[in-house]
Amino acid sequence: MRHARRRRRSTPVAPVAIALALAAPLLGGCGIQPTDVIEAGGPPSFQAFLNRDYDMLLFFRSPDGGVVPVIRTTSPSYSFGDGYTEPGSGQNLANLTGPARTERVVQELLTGPGTRDRTAGLSTALPAHPGGTVELDPFSAGRVTARLPLALKALSSTALRQLTCTIAYSTAADGRATVQLTGQDGTSRTATCPLASGNPENTPAGTPSPVTTG
Amino acid sequence: MSTGERSRARAFGLRTRLMLAFLLVAAVSAGTTAALTYREARNAILRTTQDTAVTSFREQVQQTALVLPLEGGANLELVLRDIARKGKPRPWVVFAEYGSIRASSGEHPVSTVITPELRGAARANPLGSFERVVKDGVPYLTIAMPMVFKVSPDSTLSSGLVLYAVMRMTDEQVNVDALLIAARDGALPGLAVALIPGLIAARSVLRPVRKLREAALSMGSGKLDTRIPVRGSDELADLARTFNVSAAQLEQSVRELRDAEERARRFASDVSHELRTPLAGMLAVTEVLDEDADGLDADTARAVRLVSAETGKLAVLVEDLMEISRFDARAAELNADEVDVAEAIRKTLHNRHWTDDRVRVELPDGIRARLDPRRFDVVLANLVGNALRHGGAPVTVCLRTEARSPSGRVLITEVMDTGSGIRPEALPHIFDRFYKADAARTRSAGSGLGLAITLENVKLHGGTIHAGNRPEGGAVFTVEIPLHAEEAGG
Repeated sequence: MRHARRRRRSTPVAPVAIALALAAPLLGGCGIQPTDVIEAGGPPSFQAFLNRDYDMLLFFRSPDGGVVPVIRTTSPSYSFGDGYTEPGSGQNLANLTGPARTERVVQELLTGPGTRDRTAGLSTALPAHPGGTVELDPFSAGRVTARLPLALKALSSTALRQLTCTIAYSTAADGRATVQLTGQDGTSRTATCPLASGNPENTPAGTPSPVTTG
Repeated sequence: MSTGERSRARAFGLRTRLMLAFLLVAAVSAGTTAALTYREARNAILRTTQDTAVTSFREQVQQTALVLPLEGGANLELVLRDIARKGKPRPWVVFAEYGSIRASSGEHPVSTVITPELRGAARANPLGSFERVVKDGVPYLTIAMPMVFKVSPDSTLSSGLVLYAVMRMTDEQVNVDALLIAARDGALPGLAVALIPGLIAARSVLRPVRKLREAALSMGSGKLDTRIPVRGSDELADLARTFNVSAAQLEQSVRELRDAEERARRFASDVSHELRTPLAGMLAVTEVLDEDADGLDADTARAVRLVSAETGKLAVLVEDLMEISRFDARAAELNADEVDVAEAIRKTLHNRHWTDDRVRVELPDGIRARLDPRRFDVVLANLVGNALRHGGAPVTVCLRTEARSPSGRVLITEVMDTGSGIRPEALPHIFDRFYKADAARTRSAGSGLGLAITLENVKLHGGTIHAGNRPEGGAVFTVEIPLHAEEAGG
């Protein structure tokens, strides 16, 4: 009937065309069709163990150009059992609080990635072993100020992000802190960590903030 | 209507259209049902598989202890293989990506199926994502589960480690294909079954229509008493009833017309008959008067001769009227005999004393035809007499035969005069009864029925007669009579 001529008896053609037009979206392709990326839903996938008393989160540069967090544990018992200690990590972090704790964490960041980190392809954009001390003002009203023994002007955005995120996560548990960095050269930079889930630049459009369940 | 047109009309006839309509309805309903069922069942199968796989993968990776920063190598691959083995509903291939480390439970450390979109979603969304991918015709389910740090009770931090599971959906494809086949096998018999009510409906419509057509044809061929049996009370029954009523009215009208015509003919015939007897007496009296006219005085003699001449004309008119009446009553008979046509024509001319040079003849010998000699004589005498009276001498009579494809050979007799011809406006009416070509000569010698009788006689022979004008002047009458001499002769 598809070959019916468009003569004056074109009446059978019109219903057929309508039927085909109706049927086409219903059929919608047979077999298994590819989909877009679909959010799996449910609880966040799987979690790494993080003990804030002994573990510090350092941010290093990943091969794809972003920054990824790395756990550096300072527990003597843990490092004893593991038989693995990083240089400068012998001091128990649990004894430190407030700015002193964060100063310690930043020192650790400036030391650079360990061997296992390097094996996994992680690196740092910060200059190695700058020397000098890090001073922090106390955390107040979601804002922390750090004076660094570095010249900030020469640092790349990745290096600044490493510093910002490390300080933010060390100061506030959820990383939501505005960090003001001041360098030796007097340059000052203020930023938030883009990885922190509350910060708008980290929230992809349409993706709800993850809901944590036990 | 040619046969080609008819067969094309049948190709799109009522039966075909009804069948198509039934098929269409059946196809739409069966197709829609099958398509909807198929789609829902397929989606259910896929959803079950996906949910099972995603939930199972999430459970597996949650139970796996992976220490960050990740260390590649055999240990990691062992862990991945362990996850892959426990895959539900089927073993997966598990891939791990962290920094520059790439590891998998299979042979290749990096999957070719995982799309950049899924990788991007894994980095951005800590809840995990999945994507269905078709590569080289094989559908795959790819699931991404990023590892997160739980930095506070209500916030997480992506750790950079993402585990991917890739599962071939071949079993699902087999199931979905089976669904498709089932849907098709369910829909096609439905279409076949739909043909049966289609045929029945077409039959119930077409049978009355066919009867109506036969009845109409029958009426057209003269059987006015044709009626259709009316069955049921649908529109077609109404049509049949209307047809019957119209046919009855038509039959009634035709019968009345025929009766009236019959009465008129019989009246003319009766009048002619009734006139004949007194006319015969009058003719006898006028003959006596004619003989005695010489003894009368001049005026009385002229009156007597006039009465005698008019009485003769009246007798001719009555004879012609009776002849026409016989034709009208179809009482005229053809007494055909095989004659030599040239001889018959010569005899006609001789009997009328048209033997001088007023009439020329071109008569080839040896043409024989089956003719009624008396009627052929009337035809020729009428034509030649007309030509002499209204045309002008000399009059030429030609005879020939000619081959005509549909009806075989015809005998052609032409009578030509050299007068002024027939006026063009008179030509169509020249064979009408009492038609006078020359209006001024109303009192001509003829009865006005001569050419009408000629026409009837030629028709009785199965022939035709035409009147026309020759280009060089003068009228020509052409009589064509089919020759059946071949049949008679052998």
